Amino acid sequence: MIEIEGITKRYDATTVVDDVSMLIEPRTIAVIVGTSGSGKTTLLRMINRLVEPTAGVIKLDGADNRSLPGYELRRSIGYAIQGHGLFPHRTVAQNIATVPVLLGWDKARIKARVDELMTLYQLDPEAFGPRYPHELSGGQQQRVGVARALAAEPHVLLMDEPFGALDPIIRNKAQEDLLAIQKRFGTTIILVTHDMEEAVHMGDKIAVMDAGKLVQYARPAEILAKPASAFVETLVGASEKPFRLLSLGRVRDAVEKGTAEGEAIPGDASQRDALAELLWSGRPALPVKGDDGKPLGRVTVDGLVKRAARPA
Amino acid sequence: MTIRFDKLGVVIAAIVAYAAFAAPFATFRANRIVPGEARSILESLPTAVGPSLLEIVVIAAIIALLKTPLILRLVASVVALAALAILIGVAGDFLTPEGNTFARISPASGFWLLIFAFTLLLADVLTRLNLSPWARVGVLVVAALAIGLLLVSGSWNSLSILKEYANRADSFWAEGSKHVTLALGSLAAAAVVGLPLGILCHRVDKLRAGVLNVLNIIQTIPSIALFGLLIAPLGWVATHVPGAASLGIRGIGTAPAFVALFLYSLLPVVANTVVGLAGVPRAANDAARGMGMTDRQRLFGVEFPLAFPVILTGIRIVLVQNIGLATIAALIGGGGFGVFVFQGVGQTAMDLVLLGAVPTVALAFAAAIILDAVIEMTSTRRREVQTA
Repeated sequence: MIEIEGITKRYDATTVVDDVSMLIEPRTIAVIVGTSGSGKTTLLRMINRLVEPTAGVIKLDGADNRSLPGYELRRSIGYAIQGHGLFPHRTVAQNIATVPVLLGWDKARIKARVDELMTLYQLDPEAFGPRYPHELSGGQQQRVGVARALAAEPHVLLMDEPFGALDPIIRNKAQEDLLAIQKRFGTTIILVTHDMEEAVHMGDKIAVMDAGKLVQYARPAEILAKPASAFVETLVGASEKPFRLLSLGRVRDAVEKGTAEGEAIPGDASQRDALAELLWSGRPALPVKGDDGKPLGRVTVDGLVKRAARPA
Repeated sequence: MTIRFDKLGVVIAAIVAYAAFAAPFATFRANRIVPGEARSILESLPTAVGPSLLEIVVIAAIIALLKTPLILRLVASVVALAALAILIGVAGDFLTPEGNTFARISPASGFWLLIFAFTLLLADVLTRLNLSPWARVGVLVVAALAIGLLLVSGSWNSLSILKEYANRADSFWAEGSKHVTLALGSLAAAAVVGLPLGILCHRVDKLRAGVLNVLNIIQTIPSIALFGLLIAPLGWVATHVPGAASLGIRGIGTAPAFVALFLYSLLPVVANTVVGLAGVPRAANDAARGMGMTDRQRLFGVEFPLAFPVILTGIRIVLVQNIGLATIAALIGGGGFGVFVFQGVGQTAMDLVLLGAVPTVALAFAAAIILDAVIEMTSTRRREVQTA
């Protein structure tokens, strides 16, 4: 649980973050969206005190984040940034081990944790551990960056545009990996991005920031359905709204009775993907299969179109 | 098959042609200060040897001139250099009249040009071979051993520069060690003061411009003037600060030379520290802070290792510069190889000047090669592909 209460940051006359309050539930992902200069990165950096607030309090599990020295606080919070920030003079294994080493873990425990994380991220510890960051691809570097942030088993992970430097295909993969790992460790994640698509896809809740103020903080469906201001509306993108709404739902939730011809779509796929497939193949309905491959029913164009309409 | 020329080879062949056939190979003087008489290769060497040297030199020049395999060029340059090095000693023996201890034989412009031409060829080959740092140091050691062997064997003893050495063997090594102590000591002092100062300048913006400007101004003071300027303040310190004189601090001598070299060394050390630290990637620095490194851990764990190759480059500049500048210390009684240079100038004895100048150049050259190798090793360590 992270409680942000009346946080303000001023540099001389300019107010970068203006009286922001929000509450982030444990084991959820909160995404902070905004244009550049909206104060979203500053807000994030005040949580681990890379920036000290001018006013207000931030509590982590009930404890004021100023009750520890800054560097000790930061060791307990994961931190991943755009362009990964890996140390070029240290090997992949040494990079991942950074915080455990700072915390003074014993060697065996560090090695076990590094191997675990690398395996989790599909990097063979034997092959990749001794390499240097410049020998990896962009996607691999990003994965090492996140693995490093998770090394000391933090409850909270802060991410500043972690996928910003990746190409679209690698970015999708990285987002899926992060969602899977968040489920596995139950980490509370606060992620900063300027990409609404990413926000809708990743966030349990989305915080929209504009000129230092928190404009709206709600579930993605609500942000799409009831944008609090013209700014949020623009950010969502009027022409994208129905598709973003569909991307929130799974096919299994839109299943109707009946059968259809052709190859089945998995129940886990997003409704947006199902609609795209229907439109592209020119068919009125698609069969749906469950995880075990058994047929669940079908999805229809009509059914999905109804779901894409503005909620009442 | 068409004949193709090597670009550098054309230059080398031209130099060799002039040096071997038109320039004097050795100079003969009746005593150490009278003007010399020029001797060509054929005149300088016994009848059987002279033509062979010409042959070796001409063949090596042709190999350099044409596009030939690297290994052949390497052999040609090494053989030519070795032949020149050995035969200049033979020329010394051959030209010295029996029992005459006043006559002086020294290498002349033709000899030096030939050495220059084939060193150029060798350097070109070594660059193209793209040797590893260790291999380069290895080549340096082999060259040093070869020269050492020739010196110890006595085959150069009839040359004038070694006759000057024979007269001053004791003071040569004393001044040599003083020279090295001055150059290395002032470098060490500059590193001890300059590194923290550079870190401070990196952290405190306001300090940076001021400190670098002052150091820049010091660099522009001509060295002789700086040595002179230090005489008064250090003389004052020696007479007024108790214990200073007993530490060896005086207006003239080693102290002002040391201080001047130290001051000259500061700018490269401080400037390179600042530049190196500024070049540390922002993201790496931000990540280091974000993961909970203290300022000290960040400095020693991230910033310093990443800035190290740049800082070492500064140290290399200082070391080479100091080895050269320390020559001037002799002017104010600071000792070093400069003693022979200035004595030689005073007596118009060029051989004595060379006795001071040649070791200085050799030292600077060796220092540059070794530090370049170290710099390359520290900056490529993280780039090596580890095959485990």
